[in-house]
Amino acid sequence: MTDEKEFIQQLLNPKTQDLAFQKLLSDYQKPLYSHIRNIVLNHDDTDDVLQNTFVKVFQYLKNFKGESKLFSWMYRIATNEALTFLNQKAKISGITSEDLQNKTIDNLKADSYFDGNEIQLKLQKAIVTLPEKQQLVFKMKYFEELKYEEISEILGTSVGALKASYHHAVKKIEIYITTN
Amino acid sequence: MKTFKLENEPKIATGFKTPEDYFDNFSAKVLQQINENEVKVIPLYKRKKVLTMAAAAAVFIGLMIPVVNNYNATSKDLDEATLENYLAYQSNLNQYDLIQNLDTNDIQKLNKNVAIEDETLEDILSSSPNIEHLISE
Repeated sequence: MTDEKEFIQQLLNPKTQDLAFQKLLSDYQKPLYSHIRNIVLNHDDTDDVLQNTFVKVFQYLKNFKGESKLFSWMYRIATNEALTFLNQKAKISGITSEDLQNKTIDNLKADSYFDGNEIQLKLQKAIVTLPEKQQLVFKMKYFEELKYEEISEILGTSVGALKASYHHAVKKIEIYITTN
Repeated sequence: MKTFKLENEPKIATGFKTPEDYFDNFSAKVLQQINENEVKVIPLYKRKKVLTMAAAAAVFIGLMIPVVNNYNATSKDLDEATLENYLAYQSNLNQYDLIQNLDTNDIQKLNKNVAIEDETLEDILSSSPNIEHLISE
């Protein structure tokens, strides 16, 4: 924790800022990319959202109070950016965000940055049928392998509620894959 | 049909790929965007400030128009009647203060104005209950 405090000081100090921010970028770009990609699904959109996320992180660093961990704070920004992006994209297209997700999943096969086999595609299709919160919890737990405690800090939901959400999500996915 | 159980299956990956060397160039892209934002933000902010101030000034001038008009209109109405009313009701001036400021010319003018006929004077004196007191003085 003291290391993190020191690192935050480096991020805020104009002299050490550039170097510290580069370290932040190289440490977090891959996990945050996966996190955003799991939500928005296609690579180009993920690229946009990930850039916006880091720009926001840079802008809001001076307001970061250290009440939560840097890790969960950044994940929270990334999640909000991704969900806002999806809602805006759906609004522009004049469809609901569920319809937008279905459409994106249908296009996955043609996506050059998706090489999933049949079961991988089926899993993605099953996830889309879940409510937004269950989708998030499932992706963070199953794909990103985050701990419940970490997800709890990011989403502001109790560990108990997260476990229940994940359990429901798994059941629904299993039923979907069995019947489709 | 065989029931699908997620925990019985080998871990299923997302199947998402990223373009080659995407992460090599990503940092530079973000840093460039941050620098561009910093350069852009300053002039936009300043222009916005000037516009805001101009708008505020316009609104202020607009609001002042009726006030100024009203002020000019009322200042012309300050005629003798208003002044007299003010002195009579609003100030501390009383009869004695006024009398002290009268000179001989004023008194002569007053005399002419109060040219009462003898009969009227007699009537007034006779109806006054203090007449005896006045005579004895």
